[in-house]
Amino acid sequence: MSRDLAARQADLVAALVADAPVPAGFDPLRVEAARAALLRKRAGGVLRHWPLLAAGLGDVWLSTFTEWARTRPPPGPLRDGWDLARSLAAAGTLPALAAEELAVREAGWRYDGVGEPRRRRLPALQRGGGAIVLQVAGRVHLLRRPR
Amino acid sequence: MIPYSVGIGWRPEICGFVAALPGLRFVEVIAESLTAHGPLPPALVALRQRGMAVIPHGVQLSLGGADPVAPSRVAHLARLAERLSAPLVSEHIAFVRAGGVEAGHLLPLPRTREAVDAVVANVRRTQAELPVPLALEPIAALFDWPDDELDEAQFLTEILDRTEALLLLDLANIYANARNRGNDPVDLLDRLPLDRIAYVHVAGGIEHDGIYHDTHTDPLPPAVLELVAELCIRHRPPALLLERDGNYPPAPVLRAELDAIAAAAGYPTIT
Repeated sequence: MSRDLAARQADLVAALVADAPVPAGFDPLRVEAARAALLRKRAGGVLRHWPLLAAGLGDVWLSTFTEWARTRPPPGPLRDGWDLARSLAAAGTLPALAAEELAVREAGWRYDGVGEPRRRRLPALQRGGGAIVLQVAGRVHLLRRPR
Repeated sequence: MIPYSVGIGWRPEICGFVAALPGLRFVEVIAESLTAHGPLPPALVALRQRGMAVIPHGVQLSLGGADPVAPSRVAHLARLAERLSAPLVSEHIAFVRAGGVEAGHLLPLPRTREAVDAVVANVRRTQAELPVPLALEPIAALFDWPDDELDEAQFLTEILDRTEALLLLDLANIYANARNRGNDPVDLLDRLPLDRIAYVHVAGGIEHDGIYHDTHTDPLPPAVLELVAELCIRHRPPALLLERDGNYPPAPVLRAELDAIAAAAGYPTIT
């Protein structure tokens, strides 16, 4: 008797999104094709939610995202892009355009890196990409220094 | 039920194009893109006020998961069906999460008795809460499980028979699976219960490294239109719907695809 369906489904999902080995019996080339397709689709979702992150990274956007995402299960496009932007910011490699986009989001929403982001009720001030972002009563003001 | 016609998947990016289609009578909307209790998109509300049929199409229920469907997700579908006065709701024969991890995509099931039992149990749980009928859509699979006991037609027919659900037949999925498995898509049409079709999906895709991907972001292949004609020879479906999920082409290109679907099925054009 084979292992039960729940365990086998979990093994397959782990192979597709968390870099776990392909379960025995599956065609590894086909599973790899599905894994790559999932990453492309996932990148498309992040692109829609974080257009300046993708634009700021330019030519290296797709490779940066897929390299970062291949070992991380998808948390949904909003959190996915948020997590990547924060990790690039921490490494000092977040482009200025993307840093502004991140600062706008951080000013408007509270995100603990684990659950769904929640709208802030209190005013917030953020810096990013040479801009200062002020959020008051849900309205976001972007104050940019002349370049 | 659904008016006899050609429809299109409603997406915010093309809502202006969709609203301007003079002959349009039905659309489908991704259920998870709407809130159950908050305001609905004004462009969608406007379509409803014009008498358009709007079908909530779920993509994250995971009817094929070994675990029971989440009651909150079923309630979301039920609430949307009520708010939109939908004639029916549709979802996939697939799983999208396991072991607490989201795959982010529709994944195929092993075609085993155990999997049939899991799907049937989840479909029944869902049907018990829905105010309208449920239509089930077989998916495009890039790979198969190693231990299939049933072929595709047996697997689908058994699920439909045991649940009395309707069939949402996606001809692009049928085409993709047949091409990637090296068999004839028409053979499957001959073995499915076509009288159970609620409506039909049509979409575009592209080949990568010898594998055809049902992307919904590429042009509609002529072979999928030929399948529309093959289906209509056997059984004329109540309605056909074009799914486009990104990389939107100029309006004339999208109109030409809608016209081509109408022509292949012998339906009036909606453009």
